[in-house]
Amino acid sequence: MDRATAPLLDGARLSIIANRFGGVCRKMGNTLLRTGRSGVLNRAKDFSCCIVTADCELLTAEESLPIHVLSGPDLMVRWLNSVHPNVKRGDVFLHNSPYHGNSHPADHTLLMPVVDDDGVHRFTVLAKAHQADIGNSIPTTYHGTARDVYEEGALLFPAVKVVENYKVNEDFVRMCRLRIRVPDQWHGDFLAMLGAAYIGEREILAMGQELGWDKLSAFCRQWLDYSESRMIEAIRAMRGGSASATSTHDAIPGTPKDGITVTSSVTIDPDRAMIDVDLTDNPDQLACGLNVSEACTRTSAMIGVFNSVDPSVPKNAGAFRRIAVHLKEGGVVGIPQHPISCSASTTNLADRVQNATQLALAAISEHLGMGEIGCFCPPSTSVVSGIDPRSGKAYVNQLFLGHTAGAGYASEDAWLTMLHAGNGGMCFMDSIELDEVYTPILVKTRRLIADSEGAGQYRGAPGILVEFGPVGAAMQAVFVADGNINNPKGARGGSAAAPSAQFIRQRDGTLRPLPQYCDTWIGDGETLVSVACGGGGYGSAANRDPERVCKDVQEGLVTRQRAESVYGTVLTPDLQVDIEATERLRAANEGRATVPR
Amino acid sequence: MRIACDTGGTFTDLIVESDDGQIKMYKAATVPQDPVQGMLDAATVAAGDWKLSLPDFLGRCDLLIHGTTHAINAIITGRTARTAFLTTAGHPDILVLREGGRAEPFNFHVPYPSPYIPRALTFEIPERINAAGAIVTALDEEATGRILDDVAASGVEAIAVCLLWAIANPVHELRIGDMIRQRLPDVPFTLAHQLNPTLREYRRASAAAIDSSLKPLMGRYLSELTSRLASSGFKGRTLVLTSQGGMMDAAELAKQPIHAINSGPSMAPIAGRYYGAVDSKLPLAIVADTGGTTYDVSLVRRGRIPKTRETWIGKPYRGHMTGLPSIDIKSVGAGGGSIARVDKGGLLHVGPQSAGSVPGPVCYAAGGTQPTLTDACLVLGYLDPTFFLGGRMKLDPDAARQAIESTIAAPLKLDLYAAAAAIVEVATENMVQAIEEITINQGIDPSEAALIGGGGAAGFNSVWIARRLNCPLLIMPETGAALSAAGALMSELRDEYREMFLVTSDAWNEPAVNSLLAKLRERCVAFVDRAGASLQQARIEFAVEARYAGQVWEIELPLKHDHYAGEADLAGLLEDFHAHHEDVFAVRDPSSVVEFVCWTAAVSCPLGRNDLGRMPADPAASRRSASRQAFFAGSGIVETPVFALASLPEGDVMRGPAIVETPFTTIVIDPRASFWHGPSGSLLIKP
Repeated sequence: MDRATAPLLDGARLSIIANRFGGVCRKMGNTLLRTGRSGVLNRAKDFSCCIVTADCELLTAEESLPIHVLSGPDLMVRWLNSVHPNVKRGDVFLHNSPYHGNSHPADHTLLMPVVDDDGVHRFTVLAKAHQADIGNSIPTTYHGTARDVYEEGALLFPAVKVVENYKVNEDFVRMCRLRIRVPDQWHGDFLAMLGAAYIGEREILAMGQELGWDKLSAFCRQWLDYSESRMIEAIRAMRGGSASATSTHDAIPGTPKDGITVTSSVTIDPDRAMIDVDLTDNPDQLACGLNVSEACTRTSAMIGVFNSVDPSVPKNAGAFRRIAVHLKEGGVVGIPQHPISCSASTTNLADRVQNATQLALAAISEHLGMGEIGCFCPPSTSVVSGIDPRSGKAYVNQLFLGHTAGAGYASEDAWLTMLHAGNGGMCFMDSIELDEVYTPILVKTRRLIADSEGAGQYRGAPGILVEFGPVGAAMQAVFVADGNINNPKGARGGSAAAPSAQFIRQRDGTLRPLPQYCDTWIGDGETLVSVACGGGGYGSAANRDPERVCKDVQEGLVTRQRAESVYGTVLTPDLQVDIEATERLRAANEGRATVPR
Repeated sequence: MRIACDTGGTFTDLIVESDDGQIKMYKAATVPQDPVQGMLDAATVAAGDWKLSLPDFLGRCDLLIHGTTHAINAIITGRTARTAFLTTAGHPDILVLREGGRAEPFNFHVPYPSPYIPRALTFEIPERINAAGAIVTALDEEATGRILDDVAASGVEAIAVCLLWAIANPVHELRIGDMIRQRLPDVPFTLAHQLNPTLREYRRASAAAIDSSLKPLMGRYLSELTSRLASSGFKGRTLVLTSQGGMMDAAELAKQPIHAINSGPSMAPIAGRYYGAVDSKLPLAIVADTGGTTYDVSLVRRGRIPKTRETWIGKPYRGHMTGLPSIDIKSVGAGGGSIARVDKGGLLHVGPQSAGSVPGPVCYAAGGTQPTLTDACLVLGYLDPTFFLGGRMKLDPDAARQAIESTIAAPLKLDLYAAAAAIVEVATENMVQAIEEITINQGIDPSEAALIGGGGAAGFNSVWIARRLNCPLLIMPETGAALSAAGALMSELRDEYREMFLVTSDAWNEPAVNSLLAKLRERCVAFVDRAGASLQQARIEFAVEARYAGQVWEIELPLKHDHYAGEADLAGLLEDFHAHHEDVFAVRDPSSVVEFVCWTAAVSCPLGRNDLGRMPADPAASRRSASRQAFFAGSGIVETPVFALASLPEGDVMRGPAIVETPFTTIVIDPRASFWHGPSGSLLIKP
């Protein structure tokens, strides 16, 4: 049915069907969380579920991790259609190729076409889940220094059919069982994803039968148009202008010695109701695992924009029409070419793309953007592996033992537990007790660090200290920390957060610094000490509401000394704001250069 | 005589059950500053009806069951005790960091929530126990003593203690409890491992924090309740409803006041279970309580009321998790007062904002300007403007029409009736979504369920909700307007015992399982003895929380046996697990080891009757009979007969359209539905 003859749905019907599609995503996600076997799924919730239309447009991705879904699902389904033009009901495809629309190889994605009774491919449901292991050459899903995919070692599946007529191809399972560490854990996670895909398909088939496929098609067009109209309205309410900003990832082996600087140039054009993000002025792809896939580059720029847009605008292909992201072929951010590695594509440098975009927005208007969100991935989020001495069995899993990273926003303090920019705070933080049951470790400390926040009128999150070590046997830990040197900057006069750092505490109690990119064994009796960044502040700390400063001091997040020197706020001995002294101090400070962090 | 009294936000509902089983309903305005007064007011109304003085009336009652929002209100309004949090050194931020997670990842206008107990009142205790229960660092009692001096100096009124792994070895928590008793004898405290023996430190800590912060306040409230009732002539037993859908003696609850958080709403499913069983043979009942602002839904499966361990006070990730099981009630912002609006993109929204009771819907003519679900129902002809709440309130249909015309119909380019019908439809869909979350989302098919409508606004759209969910039957109980209080009368004394014991399918330990189940049974029997009930009346149900190896979230599996004998019993248990997993999550993994983690036994003793009597017919209402013009999507404006529920003969099946009125509610039946008056007094509807 063409556009002219399609039935038009009223606002009520539109709302109802949108809710039902959102409900499908939630049902899929619930299945993944409850049935996943690895901690990265069932403790940290590092997965996403979404629905793509027959026209390869993202329809809804409710409750997903932003970096997983804004762009990528569309590219993946387009790729699926090009290599499998004749899908059948009951087919499921595994896709993890960052060269064909996936985020990074660790995000295994199951694509399940929803095929109607006449054999027409109507929708595709996607279940994307970060794996505990993907058969890399070393036990981590973020191989930061891999020269290329061969050194990285990931098994790549560019939309490979793994289920036909609802029956799993056991050849594929046997193959993965030989190449992926802790195969039972992988297989359980695969089944969890499959359950989510089946549930999504079942739900949409039922909707099609109940409401009619033509009506659902009409809904999709109209829903995307509605979302676009909401985005137009949001952009028209913004101040127009252009600005560029940079964000720099620290050096690791394989990068230039000063690290990698990402430049984002943003133009807001309220008249055309368009936002352009130009990422073409960036370095070429590098022989390391930090290159950012096309999906993640696009998505990071879009998250940067959406974080400043009325949050009620639906995030789907309709709203995306009003954002143009310009990419460079073969860029370190942009469209990296096989066989260069995109192993850590969702986090480290992708976060820098988002941060640069948000800083540029903040430069355009004091109502937009935010400070830099803290850096990934400190040792508290290592992938750890070894043999559990309690059972004699091998283990491999990514820990989520402690994170903050939130940045000050134009009108509010940081959301504390952001994890990293692209995550949006959606992941859970591991329970110490659960981690100690499932991994042979002991966590000595997990605490926020006083005076480590990015100061500002709206402050960033404080950093977090996590110290943990293996019990009864050595443990291998791999991480790629950022922010030792290029700590998260503030925006519009806001200050930077304290830098990150990482050490090993040796048996004699002394601390030995570790490199930022690290693949190391921690012995029994030793501990990893992880100092993770908070986030940058927004606006000048001198303008911060003294009551907010006072509360931070009462709560032990900011010392009295820092309250005075950085925030110009004087407190009485019983920790109340001394209004007169504060006014005097702020008046005296006026005109002076802002205090460094 | 027994009385049940449910203190709600607006009204205090009181139901009296006389010894012959007849029940009568009364309402009085809630007195927020003094809820006991609201109870006594309602009791005074009842006493008047019985032509007795209050002391004489109360003197005849041998049991009073009370549901209260006192605890939850104290939390919401910040009136709980100043409380200290004691935890393992190195981990002061358990209540700050929670478990991470967030709703709305693009919404930075929402501030990060403050911890339930501030860091300023958090104290780190030098000690550490590990996952195996072994002491890694012994409790430093000297340092702890100094810390308790600091705690005392901080002026707290309560203390929560949650140490890592106290569930594996409680020795340090117990010792700290002793030290608090010695040094701060007047300060109530909660040891987390005793209150909530569960893995995941945040949930345990949060439970202890909430519980201890309620102790001073709830202790005062409950002792005042019993003493004022006594001085008003009541000589019977006072029981208070708990979040788990049972009852506790008031003095017992004062020791664990966290269990009072969902007191009240937790009773609707109890009433729903009763009506689901007497009015239908369906294995499932969905209980929906529609108030002015919220829509509370819960589920009854084969007579069992599911519980959740993830009860949030406030919104998920923005409020506080209680960490304790509660009857699984999902609340969404939808009800008679839900406000309808059209956004700039032309999309219609209904709720979650509510006009509340002040100013209320436009048709109340009390200052409301935004149209609500109630206004839409009035415009559609479902409500009689002269007979709202049995004629106690007059409605203004013109004001409702104008509001819908200008704010909904015009921007949507719909006519008035289509716009009003759209409001009902969107509200219906919001309510359907809430039910789907607890049914389809859990893999439960609502087409096997009876929908039970309680609450004053349930009658507006329950027929459509039932049809949309494919429910074969809708039940509108005659006590619907006070469903929670009705449930209280059927509530049982109950408790539940949990034992953590990990056993796997590849290392099944039949003797250990059997002795554990026997031990659980003994605790249940002891409870029955203490309650003064007989074992014949008591019911003991066993269940196990199980998962595939590597999973960390269990599913609850009812046990068919409390004693296992041989391979076949184990095979049956495993097949039950695989089938249940596939039922809920679409896949099974027969190659995987199954882990049985936590074993539970729930004991319940009925108190007196476990059924509910009938309400006497209201002769004034029965005389009403008329018809009016009502609009139904698909049929347009239809002359619709209006019946008083009490006047309908039992059992005669009639076809819609129809409107059935009771003194408290109006039930809309559209042209596709049929209905009849059941022997229980319920109106039964086939959607």
